[in-house]
Amino acid sequence: MVESMPLAKALNAGLRAAMTADDHVLLMGEDIGRLGGVFRVTEGLQAEFGDRRVLDTPLAESGIVGTAIGLAMAGFRPIIEIQFDGFVFPAFDQITTQLAKLTNRHEGALQMPVVIRIPYGGHIGAVEHHQESPEAYFTHTAGLRVVSPSTANDAYWMIQDAVRSPDPVIFLEPKAKYWMKGDVDTAERPLPLHASRLVRRGTDVTLVGHGAMVTTLLQAAALAESEGTSCEVIDLRSLSPIDYGPILDSVRRTGRMVYAQEAPGFTSVGSEVAATVMERAFFALEAPVLRVSGFDVPFPPAKLEGTYLPDADRILEAVDRALAY
Amino acid sequence: MTPPDDPALVRVLAADGTFAPSPEAERYLPLIDALTDAELETLYRDMVVVRSFDRQATNLQRQGQLALWPPSLGQEAAQVGSVRAARPQDHLFPSYREHVVATTRGVDPIDIIRVMRGLTHGGWDPTDPKNGNVHIYTLVLGSQTLHATGFGMGLVFDGRTGTGDVDRDEAVVVYYGDGASSQGDVHEAMVFANTYRTPQVFFLQNNHWAISVPVATQSRAPLYRRAEGYGMPSILVDGNDVLASYAVSRLALDEARAGDGPRAIEAMTYRMGAHTTSDDPTKYRTSDEEQSWARRDPIARMRAYLEGRGAAASFFDEVDADAQAYADDVRVRTNALGTIEPDSMFAHVYSEDHPLMVEQRRWLAAYEASFEKGA
Amino acid sequence: MSEQTFHLPDVGEGLTEAEIVQWRVAPGDAVEVNDVLVEIETAKSLVELPSPFSGTVGELLAPEGQTVTVGAPIITIAGGGGAGDAAASAPAPAEQVAASDDDGGAVLVGYGTGAGATSRRKRPAERGETVRASVGVVAKPPVRKLARDLGVTLSEVTPTGPAGEVTRDDVVRHAEQASVFRNIATPAAPAEREQTIPVSAPAPAAPPVGEREEAIPVKGVRKATASGMVRSAYTAPHVSVWTDVDATRTMELVKRLKASPDFADIKVSPLLIMARAVIWAVRRTPLIGAAWIDKEDGSAEIRVRNYVNLGIAAATPRGLLVPNIKDAQDLNLRELAKALEKLTLTAREGKTTPADQQGGTITITNIGVFGMDAGTPIINPGESGIVAMGTIRQKPWVVDGEVRPRFVTTVSGSFDHRVIDGDGMSRFIADVASILEEPALLLD
Repeated sequence: MVESMPLAKALNAGLRAAMTADDHVLLMGEDIGRLGGVFRVTEGLQAEFGDRRVLDTPLAESGIVGTAIGLAMAGFRPIIEIQFDGFVFPAFDQITTQLAKLTNRHEGALQMPVVIRIPYGGHIGAVEHHQESPEAYFTHTAGLRVVSPSTANDAYWMIQDAVRSPDPVIFLEPKAKYWMKGDVDTAERPLPLHASRLVRRGTDVTLVGHGAMVTTLLQAAALAESEGTSCEVIDLRSLSPIDYGPILDSVRRTGRMVYAQEAPGFTSVGSEVAATVMERAFFALEAPVLRVSGFDVPFPPAKLEGTYLPDADRILEAVDRALAY
Repeated sequence: MTPPDDPALVRVLAADGTFAPSPEAERYLPLIDALTDAELETLYRDMVVVRSFDRQATNLQRQGQLALWPPSLGQEAAQVGSVRAARPQDHLFPSYREHVVATTRGVDPIDIIRVMRGLTHGGWDPTDPKNGNVHIYTLVLGSQTLHATGFGMGLVFDGRTGTGDVDRDEAVVVYYGDGASSQGDVHEAMVFANTYRTPQVFFLQNNHWAISVPVATQSRAPLYRRAEGYGMPSILVDGNDVLASYAVSRLALDEARAGDGPRAIEAMTYRMGAHTTSDDPTKYRTSDEEQSWARRDPIARMRAYLEGRGAAASFFDEVDADAQAYADDVRVRTNALGTIEPDSMFAHVYSEDHPLMVEQRRWLAAYEASFEKGA
Repeated sequence: MSEQTFHLPDVGEGLTEAEIVQWRVAPGDAVEVNDVLVEIETAKSLVELPSPFSGTVGELLAPEGQTVTVGAPIITIAGGGGAGDAAASAPAPAEQVAASDDDGGAVLVGYGTGAGATSRRKRPAERGETVRASVGVVAKPPVRKLARDLGVTLSEVTPTGPAGEVTRDDVVRHAEQASVFRNIATPAAPAEREQTIPVSAPAPAAPPVGEREEAIPVKGVRKATASGMVRSAYTAPHVSVWTDVDATRTMELVKRLKASPDFADIKVSPLLIMARAVIWAVRRTPLIGAAWIDKEDGSAEIRVRNYVNLGIAAATPRGLLVPNIKDAQDLNLRELAKALEKLTLTAREGKTTPADQQGGTITITNIGVFGMDAGTPIINPGESGIVAMGTIRQKPWVVDGEVRPRFVTTVSGSFDHRVIDGDGMSRFIADVASILEEPALLLD
């Protein structure tokens, strides 16, 4: 059955499905119960499943992640909501020294089926700490899986797959797209959790990105089309591990690639993808792989976010540069 | 910092081994009276054996067999008393110095040795029944308090506690120290424990030193008093008195498992050894202080008590012999330990297949194979 | 009774040495496991070392006051047990490395940082030659690959790209061109309509060498070559035949072989396939490999040889040599490739021996490297045929009724008509060409 709904609602539906399928799935977070979450992603779930399955926790991120770890040890599958990207850092120790390492420390005897949902990214005109892109801290940590849906359909399916994973999953939700509507097919899973996806076919340049940037890449591709340049667009979907198949296949056909991300470029996900594509598709490259990223400064006051965040123009500037080689 | 004559202190054995309950100890006397002679002897034996193990492990480090050893010397009573108070179905979360807690519940001492020898980060499987529900050591201070609280929440949510059946209801003990008590995670763990009324005992061993930093730097107020601020009962016990340690832990655990919410115990003790074998206490504390605590030794105290009750000399000799044999066995087995395969580092990073693990493991194998044999 | 040695351990501070402060035992003392043997001073503190062994103290290997390196033996203890009771006496797993200037630093936990490596682990010799020919040349990755595939040395290509880079077209053009210098200047026609040249006139005396001329004395290899050529050319009636063939499949095979791990360490070129083809074709027309032998009694015989000693004409610093690969028919493809490689290298180094050049049964001369298509080469004395391998380049060819660019080459050869007739020569050349067209025929 196909239904059009905003990404936030698709997440809501996916969470509901996950909680219905397994009675040891728990939701934990600040304001997720009665309020339904500051983005209403968990709306209605506490009323339906009760306050022992949807917990309004005390205001303590490290505490939320640490107790979720204990709950996982006791046989539960907690899904944590961190209210905003900028507030994940108090939990950083529990995420990196404990959650990411516990399975390894136990030599496989214990699994850590914990999902940490984090609204991330800019374009909502918010104040400091509410528009971060912390992907790289987590992709750089062995033991974690990191994914980011860009559409409602992916949100619906990927959250359920993340819950089913025996490994900890950092689930990055592009908050600027919470209200973006999309068709959700509840009958058919589109792709595995860690697959990347060809979204638009083209011949001249391969554009790759994740999360909210995928929409921007499609806008850039449409504009490029009108100028006679045919762009292929790939949605990374999974930031760790990365599915290079479709990307390499594309680059071998186009010979040129641009990676676009909101995150600051220095030591970013885009840098990793660029280096790997260079290595594996070297002989196909007519131009170096280019990256379009946020500047390496703290996310600026909201008035400057339009300048800071890569938009279609910045992407097309890189496309022009790639074509000039 | 807790003054030594705090009226809240629970103690039944004086430093010289005489039975001299403090006022706060009255309510625990029935529990102590209920201990059989065999159980009393077990408490003594446990402490002697672990001290022998601990000494041998320290020696092994000095002989180049271990990277490191954190000694539990001096803290035997607090650890033995509390672990013997726990029931078989309980779950224990140590920090990294509770060797006797692990071994008493069934963990093979060699598994602790393996951690300190650099062969493994974990050492044993907490889900294996033979390990008595003891979780692995945690080196990031205080982190385990949150895991223990979360586990306790799980017990509550699953109805595995609070039914009134003392042989079935599960409880959680988490061990941490005076240094760790300053960590934010400990505070958060107590917040969550009280919000969700977990069947949990926070067992703080105040051994007075966090490496070289005295407990006075961690807190101006007695540590046990913090717990009250979270809404839970709090007990101060002489951690060098194994009987008092046992009794307060037993009551606290049974109250917690009955559904009455978490409790906190501060066990006053002393880290007689160094922080680890890499530490040098002569740099920051006086031998006078060490001597004063040596006079309050937990094993000597219990021995004097048992002797006063008529225990035979042969009993003590037998315990010493057992302790020596235990240590010898550890020494021999340690020296026979092998090494680990390089590709084991890829095996358990994830519970499910992961392409990077496959790729890197393959690369390492090819790389190692590219050298001449023996190179 | 066994003697065990205790080596100074790393007591956990990342140490590489310690000073012996005070021995607590003396030679001859009885010691038990864990008895204190010695007090040492590390960078940070005094530490007592307990004995891993029991027995009798043998020798104190370092005096008090001496600084000892971690891993150095400090005491021997005889005839007891202890340690693993059979285990090694060296402290495991600390590395026993000599102290060096880049020793590790002190740490609070663990084994310490240790000294750096003093030598590199040995690997087998690097396979293949490093292609340095493209360093410094500006060319995009796909162009570099093309150059490699076509066997073009990038540094020899004239770049015409806007940024001074070598383009794809540059590479392709270079691959097709022969680097042949053509002198197109033609002298003016003489004024007379005719000239008469007396045949019986004696050979004119050599004019004196002037400044515009150079006299090269004929000796050594040149002399031998010249006399061999004369002997061959004026004894054996030479007949040449040739054919063009589509060698695209050979080029594809060569490319695949180059990429195959089995051939990673060997040079592979179309000459290899040609060599195999010749060996195969000789078997089908054995007279090609035979020799005309004039006997002392005036009669002659044709000796058919049931083996192939394959000669390869090589231009060397010493001159033209024709070393041969003995019993080339017994070599598999890889062995043949190695033999060709060795032959070439040896010739290039000027180390070809007379034995190498004797006993040949058929020769290949590769004029393709000079950009020539075909020729009428002179048969190597003692043989009855010589095959010329021409250049392989893209030309229009008809494939399935359509004109397409294919890799085309000419296979030509000269043969001794005393030994072989026209049909035999033609069949032989056709056979060689058919292999170049379809190498799979070699599976026969």
